Amino acid sequence: MGGIDMDFGRYWDDTLNELAGLPAKPEVELLPIRCADFATMYGVRLTSIGHYRVFGYLSVPQGAGQFPAIYFTPKYQSVLEPIPQGAANFLRSRFVVLALAGRGQRLSDEPYSAGFPGLLTEDIDDAQGYIFRGIAADGARGLEYLLTRPEVDAERVAVIGNDMALITAALGKGATHVICQPGLFVDTLALAARTGDYPLEEINDYLNLYPEIRERVADTLRYFDLSRFAPRVSAKTLLMSGAPGSLLDAESLSALSESIQGDLDVYESQSSSYKDGLYQEEWLAREFEFAEAILPEHWR
Amino acid sequence: MIADYRCSVRKPDDFDEFWDDVLAEAASVPLNPQTAPLPLRSSDELETFEISYDSLDGVRVAAWYCMPRDRPGPLPAVVFMPGYQSDPAIPKDWARRGYAAVAAAPRGKLRSNAQFNPGYPNLLTHNIIDRNTYSYRGFYVDAWRAIDYLLTRDEVDPKRIGVAGSSQGGGLTITTAAMRPEVKAASAGAPYLCGFMDAIALTSSYPYQEINDYLRLHPHSREDVERTLAYFDGISFADRIKRPIIMNIGLQDNVCPPETGYALHNAIGSEDKRLYAYDGHGHEAGRYKHAAVITEFFAKHLQASD
Repeated sequence: MGGIDMDFGRYWDDTLNELAGLPAKPEVELLPIRCADFATMYGVRLTSIGHYRVFGYLSVPQGAGQFPAIYFTPKYQSVLEPIPQGAANFLRSRFVVLALAGRGQRLSDEPYSAGFPGLLTEDIDDAQGYIFRGIAADGARGLEYLLTRPEVDAERVAVIGNDMALITAALGKGATHVICQPGLFVDTLALAARTGDYPLEEINDYLNLYPEIRERVADTLRYFDLSRFAPRVSAKTLLMSGAPGSLLDAESLSALSESIQGDLDVYESQSSSYKDGLYQEEWLAREFEFAEAILPEHWR
Repeated sequence: MIADYRCSVRKPDDFDEFWDDVLAEAASVPLNPQTAPLPLRSSDELETFEISYDSLDGVRVAAWYCMPRDRPGPLPAVVFMPGYQSDPAIPKDWARRGYAAVAAAPRGKLRSNAQFNPGYPNLLTHNIIDRNTYSYRGFYVDAWRAIDYLLTRDEVDPKRIGVAGSSQGGGLTITTAAMRPEVKAASAGAPYLCGFMDAIALTSSYPYQEINDYLRLHPHSREDVERTLAYFDGISFADRIKRPIIMNIGLQDNVCPPETGYALHNAIGSEDKRLYAYDGHGHEAGRYKHAAVITEFFAKHLQASD
């Protein structure tokens, strides 16, 4: 186990060293159509490993800072949202918000345009070439950039997303809080075998057609299992698990939750985007010591 | 009372004429369907294909198509309409249930964006200034033409075609059920694209927020925007729906306001309509409970041959 962990550490140290060797060279452009009287929106381009330019939306509140920050890490979808669908746009009056598209997503799709389905197995038989090595570096670069912004209160930086949120918090420095809803990298091969739903079905499709490379796929996925990133996460973490009995319920995530180094809250989904979303918004407001969360109209 | 909510949209007097003209234009474009097997996404129990067809303005539209390998007779079929941000999922689960299933990717979606790519956000306001240029003019036709694709397939029973979707997929389900008489039954969840101008006042979240963003930058265009959207509002289409339809909404939906869901339901012309309103639920509109309702609904209306 020690040997594997050393190898895991070397793999990611090499990745981060490669990233550190490339200046981010940010280009920041005003986006008037997404500006409001309470926040200004910019488009940001950054260099990540492989000399790949990735895009993010950066929203900065009006008025004198500094402001707490939310970093929405790359999602498993083609589209990049300025803030997540359904979130109150007025959140942007309180938080600096950065939402990043990992390589392959729209706006970060030159030269590589990801397929959905397809991204999860892109070069998965080669740990060095696996697309998620690059996406993880993209995620880390985004956090690093966010912390260079003078408007950001570095004592209140939340990293929010799916698997990439935890990976980013583990690889990067400066996250004070993490909200993670895992979906992919929790004992992935075993997880995929329990479902026929995409995106995990991509793994089943791939191994069904290419059964001979199963071991190579397993080798690659060992570098991405969240339980191995967890000991590096010291930020206060909210782990959003599935509803009891679902694929990624709290019990399925127990090995992961036990490995997280920092303070941890585990929330079990109530199979309601309203109840789950409300809990998440109120948790963050409490952690950042706001009297009230900023909620969308139909949640008030 | 939220259940009595009425949206401000008024169906334009020349609504039918406008869409008749669009359909006539679309009819002049041959479908040119192509069906390519996808061994990677197929298995012993089902076949998956990447399909494509031509649509309005000559735009090539992609879709996924799945069906069971075991086909004792003509298959019932369902068209699944995509959400606004998501790309269509391969509908394997419905093939496993014995249906031929298409998941449409109208223009701008991945694989259908070589000729038209306004981006997300942006699709909702792309060329919104004029009903004849608005993005959804072609987008709607692309979705409806998935029915035409099914009608070319020998394995499909043309008398047993349904349509379903949630969010934007719910809105597209409404317009498809309204415009395509081949649709025998429809299921629309948390319908988007319904009650646009009310929605932008009722909610401050994306994607409806795109319209507010646009109007903030172009305040003088409000009348033009409102005029355009009346032709594309699902509520304007709703009285044309005559077949069985079910709807599900979440009463705490922060994306598509439940008020607009009620207004839509009230406007639907079918006598066989039912609304499932889930209290304590948001934009997922109770789908974890409601999935079984949809399965049973289509089994009732599509599984049995006439």
